[in-house]
Amino acid sequence: MNVATAAARPVRGLLDRLDELLGRPVSMRALALLRVLTGPIVLLHLAPFLSDTLDGQTYRDAFHEPYAAWYPEAPEPVYIGLLWLGAVAAVAMSLGFLTRLATTATFAIVTWNLFLSTTHFHNNRAYLVIVLAVLALTPSGRDPWAPGWPLWLLRFECAAIYGASGLSKLLDPDWFGGTVTWQRVVRARDELDWLPDWTVSVLTDRGFHTGAAKFIVLTELFIAIGLWRRGTRYVAVWVAVVFHVSIEMSASVQIFSLLAIAVLLIWAVPSTRDRVLRVDPADAGQRRLAAVVRRLDWLARFRVEHGQQLELVDRDGSTLRGAPAVGFALSRLPLTAWFALPALLLPWVRRGR
Amino acid sequence: MALRPVTSSKRVRVVGRRVVVVSVVVLQLALIARGYWSDHKEFAFQMFPEASTWRADVVRVTTDGRRVPVEVPWSGYRWDELVSSRGLSYPSVRHHADAGLDNQLAFLDAALDWVADNTPRDRETRYLEARVTAWHNREPPTVEVLRSDVR
Repeated sequence: MNVATAAARPVRGLLDRLDELLGRPVSMRALALLRVLTGPIVLLHLAPFLSDTLDGQTYRDAFHEPYAAWYPEAPEPVYIGLLWLGAVAAVAMSLGFLTRLATTATFAIVTWNLFLSTTHFHNNRAYLVIVLAVLALTPSGRDPWAPGWPLWLLRFECAAIYGASGLSKLLDPDWFGGTVTWQRVVRARDELDWLPDWTVSVLTDRGFHTGAAKFIVLTELFIAIGLWRRGTRYVAVWVAVVFHVSIEMSASVQIFSLLAIAVLLIWAVPSTRDRVLRVDPADAGQRRLAAVVRRLDWLARFRVEHGQQLELVDRDGSTLRGAPAVGFALSRLPLTAWFALPALLLPWVRRGR
Repeated sequence: MALRPVTSSKRVRVVGRRVVVVSVVVLQLALIARGYWSDHKEFAFQMFPEASTWRADVVRVTTDGRRVPVEVPWSGYRWDELVSSRGLSYPSVRHHADAGLDNQLAFLDAALDWVADNTPRDRETRYLEARVTAWHNREPPTVEVLRSDVR
């Protein structure tokens, strides 16, 4: 064996592992659900553009700045038609009508419109383009299994966004030291009249921001890293939801909060029906739980079966019974997870495992 | 022999998705790095980057040397209708630079050029000029003059 062959072996092994990861079939259920949720978000994104067209206005009637002279523009009636076509395609994408075509059309129109002018560009719109690109690459259907690379790619993008935002603040002494948040709050003091005096006093205190800014930066970085590890993933998702709700309440970020919360779905383990929930059909409460799980189990986590008692078998074979089983089941449903996840930290639930 | 085309197309798929994924990851990381020096920071995801503020006195400098504030409508044009986005409608009012000062002033500079180029009924303006006062976070103000191309 020569030196070149010996050196090529680890590279070959790395590529083989990468190819195996990218090609391994996984459930695309989370992306299918994200596609359903992204349709209305696209409509919210297009709403101001469509509203302008109803007033006879387009971007060309006011200051705009093309990215490149060669970038294709359309005559105004065609532009307006394409925007409305984008809205129709977004609805079709959500409803699952000609799904792949509708998703591709939505992606193409939203992306083309974004790059028509530098003035169109916002971070939330960039994130929407990324999500639509991945959805356009994803097979359609309620629960398709396919090579996992689009899912891994979107996970990378999702984490990169939190990481890039956190890192830029970490490297900026004004941000990490609290100057930026303090100045923003002080200048917006007139908008804080509805808060109690003591709250306003705390929020406008320089010392408070010395700590708060670091908390914000470390929160973003924790989300970026915590999402990758199974042990911290649920905490990262829970914190991310709180983070986005807080941003939505304190700043105008267009569709960012809705989109970012929806994308968190992709961090669910991409397999389906690998947990069993057994309920006693003679018990009305357990029947109700089964109905709730069947209705809200949008990621298809559970097989619901009849049994002698309330019992939940996790994918590792561990079994929960009674109230801990209820808490665990609700913590795995997208709509109830945020409320139920803290319950898993209670000692009596932990002992139930 | 019959298996060869299938194997070959599988190989193309494997290499194709490897190339796509690696390209996207490298491109995304490059765009994040580019955000540290570019004005518009596309796909760099630097959220709420600064508390900086700015204001500007924007005037039209006419062929006879007059300096007319753009707050005064001219030749049937209004500045706030011509420049209605990116927080540029009322430049004389002190504003937060949402995406940072560099981004904001790049937009203002481009807006001066756009207005100069897209007001054909105006036959008296030679160029537009903005005297910008900018406060980077808590630093003392700096003053900068931006000019459109000469019409």
